Amino acid sequence: MIIIMRTMIRGLWRDSHTLIWNILFPLGMLVGLGLYFRDPLYSERLLAGALAINLLFGATTATAFYVIAQRHRGVYKLLRATPLPTLSFVTAMTGARLVLTMAISVVLVGIGIGLFGVAAGPLRAGWMLVVLTIGSAGFTALGFLLANLARDETQVSIFSNLVSLPLILTSGAFYSLEQAPGWVQTMSQLQPFHYLVEALRVSIASDTILADLWLPLGVLTAFAVLCALLAALTFRWDPEGRLFRLRG
Amino acid sequence: MNQHPPPLVRAEGLHKSYGHRQAIRGIDLAIWPGETVAIIGPNGAGKSTLLDLLLGLRQPDGGKVHYSLPEPRRQIGLQLQNAPLFAGFTVLENLRMFAACYGLRCKKAELLAMLERCGLGEAAHTNAAHLSGGQQKWLAIAIALVHQPRLLFLDEPAAALDPRARRQMRSWIAELAAEGVSVVLTSHDMDEVQQVADRILLLQDGHIVAEGTAEALLATSGTSSLEDMYLKYTDTKEEVRGV
Repeated sequence: MIIIMRTMIRGLWRDSHTLIWNILFPLGMLVGLGLYFRDPLYSERLLAGALAINLLFGATTATAFYVIAQRHRGVYKLLRATPLPTLSFVTAMTGARLVLTMAISVVLVGIGIGLFGVAAGPLRAGWMLVVLTIGSAGFTALGFLLANLARDETQVSIFSNLVSLPLILTSGAFYSLEQAPGWVQTMSQLQPFHYLVEALRVSIASDTILADLWLPLGVLTAFAVLCALLAALTFRWDPEGRLFRLRG
Repeated sequence: MNQHPPPLVRAEGLHKSYGHRQAIRGIDLAIWPGETVAIIGPNGAGKSTLLDLLLGLRQPDGGKVHYSLPEPRRQIGLQLQNAPLFAGFTVLENLRMFAACYGLRCKKAELLAMLERCGLGEAAHTNAAHLSGGQQKWLAIAIALVHQPRLLFLDEPAAALDPRARRQMRSWIAELAAEGVSVVLTSHDMDEVQQVADRILLLQDGHIVAEGTAEALLATSGTSSLEDMYLKYTDTKEEVRGV
């Protein structure tokens, strides 16, 4: 599985969706907004937001496009004829995404510390790793799920926008929701991306990490399990395959 | 007592429908060690569905497929008609990836030797998406062979190849047969079928309407070429079994 994961990581670096959504977009957002606002407190929020956006687009959007493209080419049909278990393939792909997310996160955190003076020590980095790992698993599974529900790349585009835009807008990733209408605040509490942003913010800035982290981490773990189950149930090896049938 | 080895694959009473359309209707079939079997028939006759059922990629609505091979997925190679490859991966990476899917840790030199055999030595580090149609087909063949299978399924292997590459493909299939690999192929090229196949199955409307060696089919059908035989049986739906 290591060979598969390593080969996938190499392939992902050359993937145009990954380049745009996973690398250029979060980097541009962090640097652009950071230089514009120049506020240490906002920098912490911004770094958490950029890390979360990197994960959301890298894990969900890019995975969804990648999966449907490979499925339509027939690659998955060919893989199914091999003895490789589905779970191993999905795990390798999620692992490759995680490695990529981590690599870009290191760059983002480096920019946050070096350019905007965000304080981060080894303990914080450790918790950040835990949050990114659980978040990456959940949002990659969401990407698989979107690719399973979509029939083609156009539908993937529609579905990922329908999912990611409300998640971002009601998450408080780049602005406070304290002045937002009550229904927006309620929506925020009901969606997983808010908890990812919250968990990252806690791991960057909170003095009481353990006390503040258990709720967002718990929600993220439950989200990851739910998405993984749904993604497994709806997984399709070829475009003609039916939803909710693992074989046949 | 004459003891034959068991067939590598035996299909019994296969049925498969998509909605109300019956794609496969009661097919019995055996693939014996070392033989090359060609499945021919019009578009939509059920050839690809039959391959999918034999490979276990789809579950039949009725009937069963039995393998005498231990761990069949490790012993079967597959080349799909559209030569699916991982986009963004080089030729070498594609081959390494599929080798790993078969549980193999191949050295670079081994993979390069395999690519060389398929005429892709110089393209090893090229993005697979940038290969010509013919080269992609050869890479798909290399992938199908990377784990040295005993049974090989080829879905229209010579389609989209130029005459020289077609000839190479035929001699390559003959080489594999000489090495004892069983080959099941689909094709619309009757010359190719006549040259490489030990046995021919003509499929129409989801069932076998003619089966036998090329010579036997010609004799039974009273035609002078496989193409005439094909036209005769796919037109009249007459059924014949030549041995």
